[in-house]
Amino acid sequence: METFGRIIRLGLKNFWRNNWLTLGATLLMTLTLTMVSVSLLVTFVIKDTATLIREKINLTIFFRIDKVPDQKIIALGEKIKTLDGVASVNFTDKTAALAIFHRLPNVNDNIKKQIGTENNYLPRSLEVGSSDVDNLPNLALQIGAIDKGKLICSDCISYKQNKEIVDQLIRGTRALQQIGWMLSLFFGIIAIFNVSNIVRLTVAARSDEIEIMRFVGASNAFIRGPFVVEGIAYGLLGTVLTLLALPALVMAISALGVGGEIGQAFTVLGVDIKGYVLNHLPILLATQLGLGLGLGVIVSLVSIRRYLRA
Amino acid sequence: MQEILTVGSPKLTRPAVESKVKVPLIEMKSLTKKYGNRVAVGEVTLVIYEGEFVCLVGQSGAGKTTLVKLLTKQESPSTGHLFVAGRELAELRDSEVPYYRRKIGVVFQDFKLLPQKTVFENVAFALEVCGVSATEIKRRVEKVLDLVNLTRRRANYPAELSGGERQRTAIARALVHSPKLLIADEPTGNLDPVSTWEIVELLYRINQKGTTVILATHNRQAVDQIQRRVILMKSGKIISDQKSGKYVI
Ligand SMILES: Nc1ncnc2c1ncn2[C@@H]1O[C@H](COP(=O)(O)OP(=O)(O)O)[C@@H](O)[C@H]1O
Ligand SMILES: [Mg+2]
Repeated sequence: METFGRIIRLGLKNFWRNNWLTLGATLLMTLTLTMVSVSLLVTFVIKDTATLIREKINLTIFFRIDKVPDQKIIALGEKIKTLDGVASVNFTDKTAALAIFHRLPNVNDNIKKQIGTENNYLPRSLEVGSSDVDNLPNLALQIGAIDKGKLICSDCISYKQNKEIVDQLIRGTRALQQIGWMLSLFFGIIAIFNVSNIVRLTVAARSDEIEIMRFVGASNAFIRGPFVVEGIAYGLLGTVLTLLALPALVMAISALGVGGEIGQAFTVLGVDIKGYVLNHLPILLATQLGLGLGLGVIVSLVSIRRYLRA
Repeated sequence: MQEILTVGSPKLTRPAVESKVKVPLIEMKSLTKKYGNRVAVGEVTLVIYEGEFVCLVGQSGAGKTTLVKLLTKQESPSTGHLFVAGRELAELRDSEVPYYRRKIGVVFQDFKLLPQKTVFENVAFALEVCGVSATEIKRRVEKVLDLVNLTRRRANYPAELSGGERQRTAIARALVHSPKLLIADEPTGNLDPVSTWEIVELLYRINQKGTTVILATHNRQAVDQIQRRVILMKSGKIISDQKSGKYVI
């Protein structure tokens, strides 16, 4: 593929030739991709937290009296399942409760040590998932009514606390998300203008070459090739720089999140920011590459179109 | 170089055109090109045969360049028909145009060389963009540089060349695809009489090797030197077509 090599060489030459313009376009591309990445991350965080917490907005019924056998609790669970608006009922026995407790991220290790298989004070519980969050108080009453054996102690049905946290969290992160997307759009538009101006300049600077290519019989694909390569170079370099900027980006999010909603969101998610970003690296990278390459290539194709007519 | 030495006494008699079986290469039927209301080429009907040397003459604005642009499919006719090698150009698909252009060579008044490329690279460029392999490029470029007598100048940049040498480089580039047809639009417009003479001789030699040549010019010296078919244009129309003519207006 000698032709292919020629096209790539011509394109990269273009790219390096006007270095100041190239620098400007690359930086803007990087800025855009960075803003998009941040916005995307915040969106993911909101979505994940919301789902997680929404799952947590259910009724949890604790059974503090250890004498009651598991079977009775399970039988009660079966009855609850038949109630209107109940989506799921899960039984957590003592072993499972212990496992969950030991996984809690914000519980001191000293406290964790004091509770083990021998001295397991943790209550068993039924988690009742509801399809309608607002119906929970009503559901609690109904459950009380069918609890003929009085297995449930007073004040052992909880649902209230969670809901408020969720509402607050979602409100705060929404604002952040909107700012993020607005900035993305803003820098995106600037980047499109800038990259297209630069490619248009290189196209104009090489209009003689394009004219010669045309009358010696180069195909349009060949003429377009180097400019597409140039566009790809902007996208690739932008992505690489954005990836290099990612640690700084993570730290910025952490800083923003100190005491704020984001920090809270991560507590709820039970992971740290670095781990979260690392987990989402593939999709971030794919978005950056897709957007960077797409932007670069489309802008190049549009800029050169004028020269390929007739 | 031999030509230059004889410039003081140019041979004014050419062997007469042999009358072989004539195969039409270009056919124009009522060919018309308008720019808005302005008629650049009007109702031109004409046949050019394979192997011919045709001088297309006429004052500036007569429509020579427009006719050349129709031939290279840079422009499309407003009305009428234009056939090259039996194909009507208007029917060529966009994707076929590059391949058509590889079969014709074009030379311009302003050479259109790339300043940052050497003579060799300028000629090679025409093959590079068409996907020819490096070894094949080397072979063909060397051959054509030898033909235009520029082998010694192959590593020079256009700025280091005389006008005549620049035009010879452009001719080499036009010939490197081994085209059937060479079209030269005012190739001597920027050249002194000696270089003009040299270029016309080169075109003559190329024609002798079998390539059909169309020379659009308003240079009397060139036309009188070549002593071949002369088509005279005025205001977009053909007003005379002489078999072996001189430049008269
Ligand atoms: N692109 C164009 N737009 C409008 N008018 C044009 C264009 N090209 C040529 N013309 C007109 O067409 C006529 C023929 O021009 P041209 O073919 O360049 O003549 P020549 O090459 O013989 O000097 C002139 O009157 C010129 O002004
Ligand atoms: Mg002209």
